[in-house]
Amino acid sequence: MNAIDAQHVELTYADGTEAVSDLTLEIPEGEFFGFLGANGAGKTTTIKVLVTLLKPTGGTVTVNGFDVEADPRSVRESIGYMAQETSIDPELTARENIRFACEAYGVSAGDRGDRIDDLLELVDLADVANKQAKDFSGGMQKRLDVATALVHEPPIVFLDEPTTGLDPKARNRLWDYFERINDRGTTVFLTTQYLEEADQLCDRIGVIRDGSIVASGSPSELKARVGGAVLEIEIADPDDATLERARRAAVDADVFDDAPIEVTDEGLSVRSTAARRRGTDLLVALKEAEIPVTGFNVRDPTLDDVFLAITGDGLDDEEAAAEDRTAAAEVDR
Amino acid sequence: MSAEAETGRKTSGNGFVGDTWINLKRWVLKTTRNPFVMTVSLLNPIIFLVLFTEVFGQITAGAVSQSLGTEASYVTYLVPAIVIQTALIAATTSGIGLVEDIENGMFEKVLVSPMHRGAVFLGKSLSEVLRIVVQVTIILVLGYVLLALDTGASLDEYIATGVPGALGIVAVAIVFSVWFTALSNVVALLTRDQESTIIAVNLLQFPLLFLSSAFLPLEILPGWVQTVAALNPITYGVDAARALMFGQDVMTVIEVSSFGGLWNTLVPALAVLAALDLVLGAVAVSSLNSASSSDVQ
Repeated sequence: MNAIDAQHVELTYADGTEAVSDLTLEIPEGEFFGFLGANGAGKTTTIKVLVTLLKPTGGTVTVNGFDVEADPRSVRESIGYMAQETSIDPELTARENIRFACEAYGVSAGDRGDRIDDLLELVDLADVANKQAKDFSGGMQKRLDVATALVHEPPIVFLDEPTTGLDPKARNRLWDYFERINDRGTTVFLTTQYLEEADQLCDRIGVIRDGSIVASGSPSELKARVGGAVLEIEIADPDDATLERARRAAVDADVFDDAPIEVTDEGLSVRSTAARRRGTDLLVALKEAEIPVTGFNVRDPTLDDVFLAITGDGLDDEEAAAEDRTAAAEVDR
Repeated sequence: MSAEAETGRKTSGNGFVGDTWINLKRWVLKTTRNPFVMTVSLLNPIIFLVLFTEVFGQITAGAVSQSLGTEASYVTYLVPAIVIQTALIAATTSGIGLVEDIENGMFEKVLVSPMHRGAVFLGKSLSEVLRIVVQVTIILVLGYVLLALDTGASLDEYIATGVPGALGIVAVAIVFSVWFTALSNVVALLTRDQESTIIAVNLLQFPLLFLSSAFLPLEILPGWVQTVAALNPITYGVDAARALMFGQDVMTVIEVSSFGGLWNTLVPALAVLAALDLVLGAVAVSSLNSASSSDVQ
């Protein structure tokens, strides 16, 4: 049985906005799934459908075998959900917030005390357990929120950007914990702004764009699909004029066929299957054009490159989206 | 193996009553965290009670006594109105609490939990009822202190119907509060903003109170005020509480004589309030339902 089985899901808001269209997702039990997409691509709407906060306007969704429309209570019992905005009661103490969640999810009175202490320890709030949450920093509130989503040790947890705004220490601690609960068999559905996080944690990644999945696979599959390697060249005094001269020289050299030459802050960058083989040719061309090269590096593509290739922009850059449809189409098959 | 057996359903143990209790506890806890709000919200009614009694007590005594047909102190006349004012203010905070919950994400968090949705709102409402019981009791005690200081009157001369009547006044305050609680929640869901909710419901408070039988007998007020008062729920709440206070029929907006004595006021007043509670309650429940099943952001 799939932990999450969503078939041809549609969600159109009352105002006509089509947030999710024909989205199909099958997530096996025990998988650590990363859900990526630019802001506004439909990530949070999709999660809200999966956790029963929004009713799909088309398609079917089962979570843990329960239909989200026919049996939402059974779905709710079997999931943990952490919303993108921190959701805690600021007037209650850390301990009271976790206790309320324990009670809401029916954690038995006998287990409650230990469970609360364990979770406070996990999110590093044991020493402020009896302080009101309104006096906490944003990071502390976020950690408290994570703890409340985990009280009933659900078979599936939905984490909508759980580590955004956390310091690296807190983030690493939570990564460890997510991996631990995943090792124990918990299915994890994670959205994140940090591609590095997805790369490190996820078994499989799905990329959403304009409300449907445009690519999915393991991080290494996705990187392989982008293909080739990335050649980065640093140029001395990279002012606009020099960079433009360098770009023109690189284009004229025509070393990498059609691969686009991109201008970065430090110099040039190009992704191509021939990057390793013919990289030196480009360096020679630049030397002939009297461009002062101060450094170069050939590396495998990262998830950032994957993301760039698929969605044509970074995670937060909406404007660039339209420009690079062709690149997206290539990856999209 | 069925999916149900697999997930064990181990978390569904609370039941409706248990879920109500959990939510009641949270809201009571929140209220005790803010003793300042509790105190300040009582301050307005207390100021009204003391100032009105001191300033208008002498000049209104005649009109009040004439209206009731017996010798009556203005304190005794005014306390039922202040009780209703207290219930009105307490009901206002219900919507504010809801907006707070929406803003800090708890609304959504509770909706995504397996708790019964009805129990979630019942628990919150019960915490508000509890608050009304406490505050109305304080007002009733304070009213007696003022009367005793003033005239040295005994408890019988304060509430003619005694302890059962005092409990009845608390019950009237609760019945009265439901419609305004519902209204403040509807306003809260429409505005989704604390300040707007506070302004909207506070704006209603003074016209509602003054255009009713709260402060003076309707007979001595202008005709148009009498007309508005007959349509004003405050009149029915105040009259019901006042009937219990004096142990006699005090209602002038609806003349009923088939129940005998104070019941001629209580029965029609409570009937009007119950009808209003049902209508606005239904509107609030359906707004909450649609807010719960659509995007709450």
